This record gives sequence, structure tokens and C-alpha cells, in this order.
Amino acid sequence: MSDPDAYIALVSSLPGSERLFVAKQPPLSRLRLDRRLTALTLEDARVLKLLEHALNWGDYDMDVTDAQAIERCKEALRDIPQPTLRKLLLERMDLRTAVAALRLRKQGGNPAAGTFGMGRWARHIPANWTDPTFKLDGPMPWIKEAKQLLDAEDPLGLERLLLSVSHKQLKKHAARHLFDFEAVAIYVLIWNIFDRWSQSNAQDAAKRFEHLAQQAMADVAEIDFDGASA
Amino acid sequence: MNELVLTLGWLGIYAPMALGAAASAIGCSIAGMASIGAMTETEGGYGRFVGVSAFPSTMVIYGIVIMFTLNRDVTPENAGGLFGIGILSGIALMYCGIWQGRACAAAINATKEKPEIFGLSLAPAAIIEGFGVFAFVFALVISAGIS
Repeated sequence: MSDPDAYIALVSSLPGSERLFVAKQPPLSRLRLDRRLTALTLEDARVLKLLEHALNWGDYDMDVTDAQAIERCKEALRDIPQPTLRKLLLERMDLRTAVAALRLRKQGGNPAAGTFGMGRWARHIPANWTDPTFKLDGPMPWIKEAKQLLDAEDPLGLERLLLSVSHKQLKKHAARHLFDFEAVAIYVLIWNIFDRWSQSNAQDAAKRFEHLAQQAMADVAEIDFDGASA
Repeated sequence: MNELVLTLGWLGIYAPMALGAAASAIGCSIAGMASIGAMTETEGGYGRFVGVSAFPSTMVIYGIVIMFTLNRDVTPENAGGLFGIGILSGIALMYCGIWQGRACAAAINATKEKPEIFGLSLAPAAIIEGFGVFAFVFALVISAGIS
């Protein structure tokens, strides 16, 4: 358990995580966030880096193998002393394992051995491979919707669903940590979700822009520049 | 033996003041750190933050009053009573001060996002203040029975 009053000034200096999702402009850039995080002790900064390194997709190479990703998470679990952060990491791995299994099955693949991914459901999932939701409806009520989105080939919708589930998991843990290191770490992870969320919005906006541009160009094609319509 | 008993009596007289001062110092610093953090994020209302962070300073005042009330010639007959009332009221004040500081820090943190909940967010700190007042008042009442 961390010192409950370790980062009072730091936490109070951060905009509320709820505001991240409603603001038109990001209330806190990564640069400013990093500047605030200089208040962390060296050890806490190391743990936070480890946690982000294990959870951020941006920190993985495109050709990373399952075994490498799992090893990185196991390494992080060994080095993170805070039980809440370890639990949080495991929960995220459970989520990723389930989604990876859904994707593999959709592609017609099968789990290589009796286990798949890491976490609590690593053996349960291969044992229930033919069940639409791997019999995980209870512990993972979102899995049915994830499968539907995957079947409908809606990657943006799936991305948003997973970000929303991850956000809920983080908020659940945040309720028990107000001013300690865990509160700071959870804030940074929520900020990362916000960052991904805003990127997915940008992609959405880019799609819409392309659609509108094509429409506009179609109208332009019908215009006779000599003054008469085609 | 008598010397030890007399020492405990003096300890009891000064304990509410010392523990009350420690409570106020810790509580004010906790709430003060929150107000400093909030000031970097907000554009105004700084006075409110500073005002709230001074809430736990009342604990030392209660401690001083209890100390003056208990202050008398210490004898082997009254030393035990002075020790008991002084130490326990001091511990109660200390807990109230530290936790009031945390409640104020949470209030400041919440208020920076939603200024409209300023009054309501102070309710937990006010309730803790009430517990401090209980410890204070009943220390005075009980001390009247000590010769």
C-alpha cells in the first residue's frame, strides 16, 4: 500500500479525468502531463514506465509475437509492487486475451496448446472454444457485443467498446485511490485511453471528410466551367 | 513512583496542546498541498482553496483550551485523571485534524472541477469538525470532576 498522501499536489494539479472525454480541446497535453509527472519519485516513475510499456500498443513492434507480449507483461507483474496496479494489469490482459481469441477464431485459427494468452481465462478459453462467447458472459458482459462488432467488421466500434470497458475498469480502481501513486498511475492510464479515443475520433473524422470530399468532387464534376450545367 | 505519576499528570496537561498542534500542522499541510495543486490548474477562486486548507487549524485551539482547563497543581491524586483526559482528547484531536485535512484536500480537488459543489463538498470536513468539538467539550466537562 502506497502512502495515501504522497501526491496530493500532483493529483490536484491534474484536470479531472472525466473532463478529458468531454472537452473539445485536450485539457492536458502529453508534454504537460510529463512535466507534472516529474514530481514522481524515481521508483514510482520507473513503475509507471513499466506499466505503460506493458499496456501501450504503441510500445510494441508491429511484428511482436504473443510469447514476447506475454513475457513483457509477466516481467511487469514481477516488478510492480502495488497490488492494485498488478490487478489492473491482469484485468487488461484478461480483456486482451479474450479479444485476441475472438479474432483468432474469426480467422479460423485454433489455440496452439491447451492455453491461450495469459491470465485467469488462459485455459478456460481453449476449453470452450466453440462457444460463441467462450462461456465468459458472466465475468465479461461486454464480450457478446465485442463478438457482434467483430462479426460486423466494425473495428472502430470494437475499439471504442474496448476503450470504454478499460475506462470503466480503471474508474472502479480509482475510487479507492485519491492521492497516492496508484491514483497517479490510473490517471495516466485513463489519459492514454483518452488519447486513443481522440485518435479514433480523428480517424472517424478523416473517414467522414473523405466521404464529403468525394461527394463534393462528384458535384464539381457535374459543373461546366463555361457556365452551363452538364 | 510518585515522580512517575506526577510526570504522567504533566504529560496529560500538555498532550492536548501538543497533539492538537501536530494535528493542525499535518491537516493544514495536506489540504494546503491540494490547494497549491489546484491553483496551478484553475484560473480563480484561490482564496477559497487557501481558506479551506486552514480548516484543521481549529484543532490546536481546542487543544490549547483543554490544556488551560487541565492546568492545575499536579498531585498523585489527580495525575491519573489529567493523564487520561489529556492523552485521549489529544489523540482524538490528532485523528480529527489529519482526516479533516484529507477531507479538505478531496473537497479542493473536487471543487476545482465543479465550483458549484463547493459548499456541499465541505460537509465531510464539517462533520469531522463536529467530532473534534465532541472530544473538546467532553474533555472540559470531565475535567471539572478532577480535584
